[in-house]
Amino acid sequence: MTTKKPATEMQSQLLEVSQESALTQKLRRTIAWNLVRSTIHKSRFRFGLVLILSVFFWTSVFCLFYESFVFIDSMHAEVMSLLFNTFFSALMVMMIFSTGILMYGGLYRSEESKFLLTCPLRAEAIYTHKFIEALWFSSWGFILLGSPMLIAYGMVRDAPWSFFAMLLPFMVAFVFIPASLGSILCMLVVAGLPRLRLHTFSVFFAAATFTVIWLAWSTFGSTQSQALTPAWFEETLSRLAMTEQVFLPSWWLSSGLLDAALRNESRELTRQSTFEALKFLGLIIANAMLLSLMASGVARWTYRKGYSNLEAEIPCNRHRKIFWLDELLAHGGSIHGNPIRLLLVKDLQVFRRDVTQWSQFVIFFGLLALYFYNLQSFDYSNAYASLIGHLNLAVVGLILSTFTTRFVFPSISLEGRRFWILGLLPIHRDQIIWSKFLFSFGGGLIPCLGLIALSDSMLGLEQKTICVHLACCVALCGGLSGIAVGMGACMPDFREASPAKIAAGFGGTVSLVLSAMFIIFVVITVGLTSHLNLLQNAGERLPDYPILWLIGGSGGVAASLVIITASGLLATFAPIFLGIRAFRHLEP
Amino acid sequence: MIQFENATRNYGKKIAVSGLNLTIPSGELFALLGPNGAGKTTTIKMLVGLLRPSHGVVRVCGHDLVTETRSAHSRLGYVPDEPYLYDKLTGNEFLRFIAGMYRIPQHLIQSHIDREISRFELHEFADDLAENYSLGMRQRLIFAAAFLHDPDVLVLDEPMVGLDPRSVRIVKDLLKKKTAEGLTVFMSTHTLAMAEEMADRMGIMIQGKIHFLGTVSELREQVDIETTNLEDLYLKITSIPTTDQINSPDNK
Repeated sequence: MTTKKPATEMQSQLLEVSQESALTQKLRRTIAWNLVRSTIHKSRFRFGLVLILSVFFWTSVFCLFYESFVFIDSMHAEVMSLLFNTFFSALMVMMIFSTGILMYGGLYRSEESKFLLTCPLRAEAIYTHKFIEALWFSSWGFILLGSPMLIAYGMVRDAPWSFFAMLLPFMVAFVFIPASLGSILCMLVVAGLPRLRLHTFSVFFAAATFTVIWLAWSTFGSTQSQALTPAWFEETLSRLAMTEQVFLPSWWLSSGLLDAALRNESRELTRQSTFEALKFLGLIIANAMLLSLMASGVARWTYRKGYSNLEAEIPCNRHRKIFWLDELLAHGGSIHGNPIRLLLVKDLQVFRRDVTQWSQFVIFFGLLALYFYNLQSFDYSNAYASLIGHLNLAVVGLILSTFTTRFVFPSISLEGRRFWILGLLPIHRDQIIWSKFLFSFGGGLIPCLGLIALSDSMLGLEQKTICVHLACCVALCGGLSGIAVGMGACMPDFREASPAKIAAGFGGTVSLVLSAMFIIFVVITVGLTSHLNLLQNAGERLPDYPILWLIGGSGGVAASLVIITASGLLATFAPIFLGIRAFRHLEP
Repeated sequence: MIQFENATRNYGKKIAVSGLNLTIPSGELFALLGPNGAGKTTTIKMLVGLLRPSHGVVRVCGHDLVTETRSAHSRLGYVPDEPYLYDKLTGNEFLRFIAGMYRIPQHLIQSHIDREISRFELHEFADDLAENYSLGMRQRLIFAAAFLHDPDVLVLDEPMVGLDPRSVRIVKDLLKKKTAEGLTVFMSTHTLAMAEEMADRMGIMIQGKIHFLGTVSELREQVDIETTNLEDLYLKITSIPTTDQINSPDNK
């Protein structure tokens, strides 16, 4: 018995390419609209905050670039091309990798792709659907950073209107190139080397990281001349010349933008420059389209096969022995172990086995360590070094606050789904909160103290200032952990399984804002007194306000330390006690 | 309507499904039983096109799942054990998306959606976002989506999980009615009572191979045990001793 329908009849039941495209477009539009509507309806505060902060960020970046371009335009006009090339080529490399990783998650590891693969859709339609999602995620940073930069450039150079009109097409067309390259790379790796995919990705990632570090090092770190001198600039610029290769899409973009921004005295010459810019735009669009077409072809031939190969991989069932550190932490000094210590070990094991958590931790703190280590390349005056030291303290605090909000804040909510395990154990609920706090505090304190010590020693700060910064770091770690754990216990979300979504909710936003306010308070309090004290001791003339002399005196520094200690204790224990009170009466 | 021809799938050196030869004709409800790790999920993944066989062919309505994937999928409805829904779509919007995907003519879409909403009693929540649905609501919506385009073949993986007794009854009645009309159903389940009640034929899979294929009465004839209980028959064939057997005087 055969039930196979004739080919012509079958074809009429299947969607045309344009229909598939229209269907997935409509899907994305509906989801986006529902998302915006429900966000405005449910989280007005968060939506408003994101909007205001985005506008603030955009305006700040615009002002920064505007001032920088005014400076560069007057001093080193010829540097512009090199800076654009460096900026766009670095972005291009980053986007290739970020899109590749996003596409791997979207195409091969998401529940949506699993669902779509059981529907009568072409492989390339599913690819395009996921590509647009990945493109948005990997390029919004470029648009947010690039648009104020380029608008500022156009205004400084008094560019013709056509420059501003061409900005968006240039940027949008450009992002398709690295994004398509990343997608092709991802699909070929999965289809060709499924069993080695982790190793391949690891090798690629490690190679890219080392290349970037090596380039940064060879460009800025090992110059022969003294930093920030004309000779240093010359040397650095000659090293950056490698980004000016004519076959690089980043060169097409920067050349097109520079041509578009030219305003000549003669209208004919201006028109000629605009025409040149249009030629570069055409070149970028043509390449973007070609690469999109190639990526679509690769998807057609490899996506379903690659997905099947990955599905057929044997999961890694490595036998995990008890780690000596876990054993020591849990049972060191006692046979049965303390409940808090056992809970701590449980969180430590989860953290170690969650690559998302520790890899972000390593990347961000690693990059900070690299930056701090490179601070020794520059010569600073004492006042300038002190200022940078305070800013570095703020940066460490802000990075730590993103981790506490992203990973520590949702940890109480995530216990909700398995609360019956903890709920049935013979432990007090308070111990769960304290274990979360100790985990966050201990985990944050060690790297943060190390980073601050590194930064201050590279800047050559005095012992006294280093001690003050380390004290601030302890207060920051305690306060930020207390806020994240306390707010997490006060405002848990037991229905949500995704930590990212819990952190992005109202409670997470409040926690982040409180953390930012606490950091600003601590850094300004200690920064103001220490900095004024330094200026006073160096015999610098301060404005004639007695309050400045008072704050900058030794008494002022001591008072600031007392204030920071008090505020650190308050930020640590007030949210914790509020959280404990809420958690005791919780019914998940 | 469903054909496995020497279908084999291995994970590295481990063979998950070995040389499966099985034909399920139109209008039959087939239940696949087996212990955990027997190869049921692998078989279903091959049937819905998520896994390609290492050797052999899997066909749906004559269409090879590897070379004619879209044609095969257009005749297929699938209810997975963990249904996927777009959290930011309402039930109505999701059904509309599915209708578009299976190219249901524009003038018939609303009547098809109304039919499924009424059949699975989705009225109360069809205009809510799926993120607010309970497991049972999600399962009912997935059933509605699977039946929306009147498939020729329906693949069910643990279909009754999360459904309340009333919804279970609706699904059972519908499956009986549709199989009588010619629908082919391939169901993987651990609920033996469900298989006994619903299946025309069943297969018991152990370590990637079908160890028994036939009706419940054929199973009773084949297994040398004095019982009519499917659970005992199943445990006997899968060689898992029951507590009674363990405690029986013969074993002491």
